[in-house]
Amino acid sequence: MTSDRQTSEMILSARDICLSRDGNRLLDSVSLDIRRGRITFLLGYNGAGKTLLLSCLHGLLELESGSVDAPPRDRQKMVFQKPIIMRRTAAGHLRFVCPGVAETELADWMKRAGIQDRTSAPARALSGGEQQKLALIGALATKPDILFLDEPTAHLDFAATKFVEDMIREAHATGTTIVMTTHNRSQAERLGQDVLFLDDGRLVEAAPAATFFKAPGHALTRQYLEHL
Amino acid sequence: MDFLTPFQIALTLLANGDPELMSIIGLSLTVSMTAVATSLLIGLPLGAILAAYRFPGRTPLIVISNTFLGMPPVVIGLLIYLLISRAGPFGFLGILYTPAAMMIAQTVLVLPISIALSRQAFEALNGEYAPLFHSLGLGRLTRIRALVFEARATLLTIALVCFGRAISEVGAVMIVGGNIRHSTRVMTTSIALATSMGELAFAMALGIVLLLVALVVNIASQILRNSLRNFGHDV
Repeated sequence: MTSDRQTSEMILSARDICLSRDGNRLLDSVSLDIRRGRITFLLGYNGAGKTLLLSCLHGLLELESGSVDAPPRDRQKMVFQKPIIMRRTAAGHLRFVCPGVAETELADWMKRAGIQDRTSAPARALSGGEQQKLALIGALATKPDILFLDEPTAHLDFAATKFVEDMIREAHATGTTIVMTTHNRSQAERLGQDVLFLDDGRLVEAAPAATFFKAPGHALTRQYLEHL
Repeated sequence: MDFLTPFQIALTLLANGDPELMSIIGLSLTVSMTAVATSLLIGLPLGAILAAYRFPGRTPLIVISNTFLGMPPVVIGLLIYLLISRAGPFGFLGILYTPAAMMIAQTVLVLPISIALSRQAFEALNGEYAPLFHSLGLGRLTRIRALVFEARATLLTIALVCFGRAISEVGAVMIVGGNIRHSTRVMTTSIALATSMGELAFAMALGIVLLLVALVVNIASQILRNSLRNFGHDV
């Protein structure tokens, strides 16, 4: 289990992140801290800026202003809402996204994901659930310090969702910090330890999950939770 | 001329394995395939760079490259002729009226096609893969290599388009090759010569042979494309 000392450390800090597109302010002075070894959920309505913020924290987008202090690039991984899959076999895709990871280890990950008999199948011919599993194990196999997940279970059935959640728990138990977005309240309550609530590009509330769901501190949060 | 006569002549020529015809087909394929391979070797990395990166001079480069798409083969032949003729800057190479000159002319002819089509293919793929490549922290060379590999099925189509353009052109190879028998005579220049000599049936027969050669190349590439389709390529 993660120790208290570990969880009190910050693994990522963002200060005054601003991002605009076509004159519209999409992220407005967002400052936040992610605690090491925690599962942090980023919640908000569609269009609130969750995916944008996740991409900024991961360093995929150039900031208009502000800063992000995060682990080095090779210690971070991100799984996208729509998995980005290479035009190769499933094993070939894994080899590409996990350079340096031993073949036997990759085979083991595929077995754990229940897709070991799909090793030689074209990765893009796998079902949506299998592709998301492939993307997730591709991120986990490199044992990142921090893992960003953008609605990883958005289009998955019950079994695939359970697999993803089990993998998240396991990664968390081995010390990986998780930052993820979801529209699924029960998932956030099941897994979340910290919650950040974003509304219209602004960070409205940051609180431990228990506090956030039982006693939200902001009127916008209460309104959101009524709808969720 | 009976409509069926050219077909009969074509079949007879192929069935007899006419040595001169075979050498003409061989030279046509060698010149065009070398030109296609060279143009792909130069054009694909250029297409990938133009698709994946923004740099000063990128737009003028695209405009110039696209302008060359409409360049008549005969003008390209003339341009190469001026460069490699004895008085030209590359006259010392002594390659005028040789297959090498024909390969250069056809390379220049199809290079803009390989750049334009590969840029389009790479732009679509780069849009799809950029977040993943960025997330993985890949360097420029690795990105370009990965893009070329991912685009392999589309590149096959581009190669076929280039091949079609190269094998069917006559103006450029006529000017820089000279249509010399047993040396630089290819299918298209043979057809032009036979037509000018009034041997229309024979010219048509050569045209049919040319189409058959293109058919064989396309069947081979289709087989290859079918195997790539299994790997998620939209071919």
